Amino acid sequence: MKVTSKKIRRVAVANRGEVAVRIIRACEDLGIETVLLHSEPDVQSRAYRMATKKVCIGPASTAESYLQIQKNVDGARAAGADAVHPGFGFLSENYEFAQAVIDAGLIFLGPSPEAIRRLGDKVECKRLAEQLGIPLVPGYQGENQDVTHLVNQAKLMGYPVIVKAAAGGGGRGMKILRSPDEAKELIESAQREALSAFGSSKVFLEKYLDRAKHIEFQIFGDSTGKVQHLFDRECSVQRRHQKIIEEATSPSLTSELREAMGQAAVAIAEAAGYKSAGTVEFLLQDGKYYLLEVNTRLQVEHPVTEMVLSADLVKMQILTGQNEFIHSSNSVFSPRGHAIECRLYAEDPFAGGVPSTGLLGHVHFPEGPGRRFEYGFEAGDSITSYYDPMIAKVIVWDVDRPSCIRKTVQVLKDSTIFGVKTNIPYLIEILSHREFVEHTMTTRFIETHFANGLKPIEISSTEAALIEKVRTNPVRFRLGESNGVGSSITPSPLKSPFVGEWRVLQ
Amino acid sequence: MRFQWLIGTKECAGEAQIIGDQIWFHFEGRTFSVPLTKERVSKGRGAGAAQSDRIKSPMPGKITKVLKKQGEAVTAGDTVLIMEAMKMEYSLKSEVTGLVSDVGCHIGDQVALGQILMKFEVKTENIS
Repeated sequence: MKVTSKKIRRVAVANRGEVAVRIIRACEDLGIETVLLHSEPDVQSRAYRMATKKVCIGPASTAESYLQIQKNVDGARAAGADAVHPGFGFLSENYEFAQAVIDAGLIFLGPSPEAIRRLGDKVECKRLAEQLGIPLVPGYQGENQDVTHLVNQAKLMGYPVIVKAAAGGGGRGMKILRSPDEAKELIESAQREALSAFGSSKVFLEKYLDRAKHIEFQIFGDSTGKVQHLFDRECSVQRRHQKIIEEATSPSLTSELREAMGQAAVAIAEAAGYKSAGTVEFLLQDGKYYLLEVNTRLQVEHPVTEMVLSADLVKMQILTGQNEFIHSSNSVFSPRGHAIECRLYAEDPFAGGVPSTGLLGHVHFPEGPGRRFEYGFEAGDSITSYYDPMIAKVIVWDVDRPSCIRKTVQVLKDSTIFGVKTNIPYLIEILSHREFVEHTMTTRFIETHFANGLKPIEISSTEAALIEKVRTNPVRFRLGESNGVGSSITPSPLKSPFVGEWRVLQ
Repeated sequence: MRFQWLIGTKECAGEAQIIGDQIWFHFEGRTFSVPLTKERVSKGRGAGAAQSDRIKSPMPGKITKVLKKQGEAVTAGDTVLIMEAMKMEYSLKSEVTGLVSDVGCHIGDQVALGQILMKFEVKTENIS
């Protein structure tokens, strides 16, 4: 297929935080200028300081800024951009946004609006997978609600089976059937509950994967429509369906499974005419894999793939937008070593993960070989409650998985963030857990082992003595005063609103 | 700010910084924060700061003791609640004299930063 290339001169970044920095970096590497489309408070961010041009598209609220299709398109056009990168989250999987960018005469650095729409629609995506013979989580969503018929369907799927209210949500009317003995009774009970809660007794059945691993394949469609997979990642460490730690490649795949799942991922992407970066997600249990969904964008965890492949996915996206990136006939991608990514959240791991906000003071990441830090905010910036609490990503590479785990723990211990509490202690506990080390963890790992958060830390007598030393000579340590951070930093006006007294528990 | 101090016979190197009313530490692979002042009562507060008729949670944490019930009399400085976070216990005191008008938490509750934990009906001095 013949393609004509078009040089991109200025990319508008329709995102914020660390991913905006990531995109700006890739543009700089290619000699391309950038336009940051930002909200009012995000003038205090690293991406704002780095971008060539900046356009304010609205107030803090995402609904009035980052989620506004027209404001983003208008901002990109006004600043003379000829392409738009949507990052992840916000409008990245919105096909109307992709279409609006194209209609404005700009290049959308992602798949076509049609591919986003088809793969993003769960029903249509599943239909496509079925046509291609890609396994889906077995289920029954038929009209026949006769209990004997439903029990037979459950038997066909194999226990355990989950029964859900068709009209429901939020867990109501949901039951897990573990054996044929209890199936009839529990289905009837779910139907009664569904009727009283939602006014319809209709239920669905689905095979319940209670010890599944989350495995995903990075895919990339080049300028000619040829799709390749760029190997796999495992993201089984999740809390409420939110990934916390990801790694590449998955330690759980045999070469046969990798081959089969990789082929399935490429097949569905090719069938949808996929261009640019995307991810095909699967669940894997007992050696069988099931398609979960397709994410039509760059993924938060893309750096682990980049680390094991020495690739730059964002650069590839831009080159694809210029019709310049073409897969070579023999695969150039071959994974080497192991990479782990930890998502740093601004939250208090000792208080059930409540979000932590505030002014950032000292921020330090221990640079070194195979250590990569993606962050969007620096000392003097504030972490607010308007946006996602993910403030940074720590990505570590080493020659094999055990060395990589050890190194990641060390890197986390040496990373310092003052001003907001972070989940670093929680990440260290997870990485040190036997199930993680032996890579037997499933998507239920967190709820099984970390349901109650972390035990409070104890302040040692040495630490208590250090605390006293700072208390007796506070001037030297105050943010913005003779500490090298710079006097331009004004400490937060927030003061403790009340009186009280601390003591260290014995 | 880096520090390097001898504590007992131990050479201790780390990082410390005061941000607002908290001291932040990074020492031996661990980051934690503690309040700057351990003193009680209004010392650290600006002169003339209005006394508050309510107690808000200073941090996310767990209520370990509720010492006053609704309708009970309190005197300024009375400890009315005790909470715990990061292995530290915090005594919350009333700034006013009066009656407890509302208790917004129970023992064992996990409370968020800024959550109103107790309200008071302030007894005004009889000036007549």
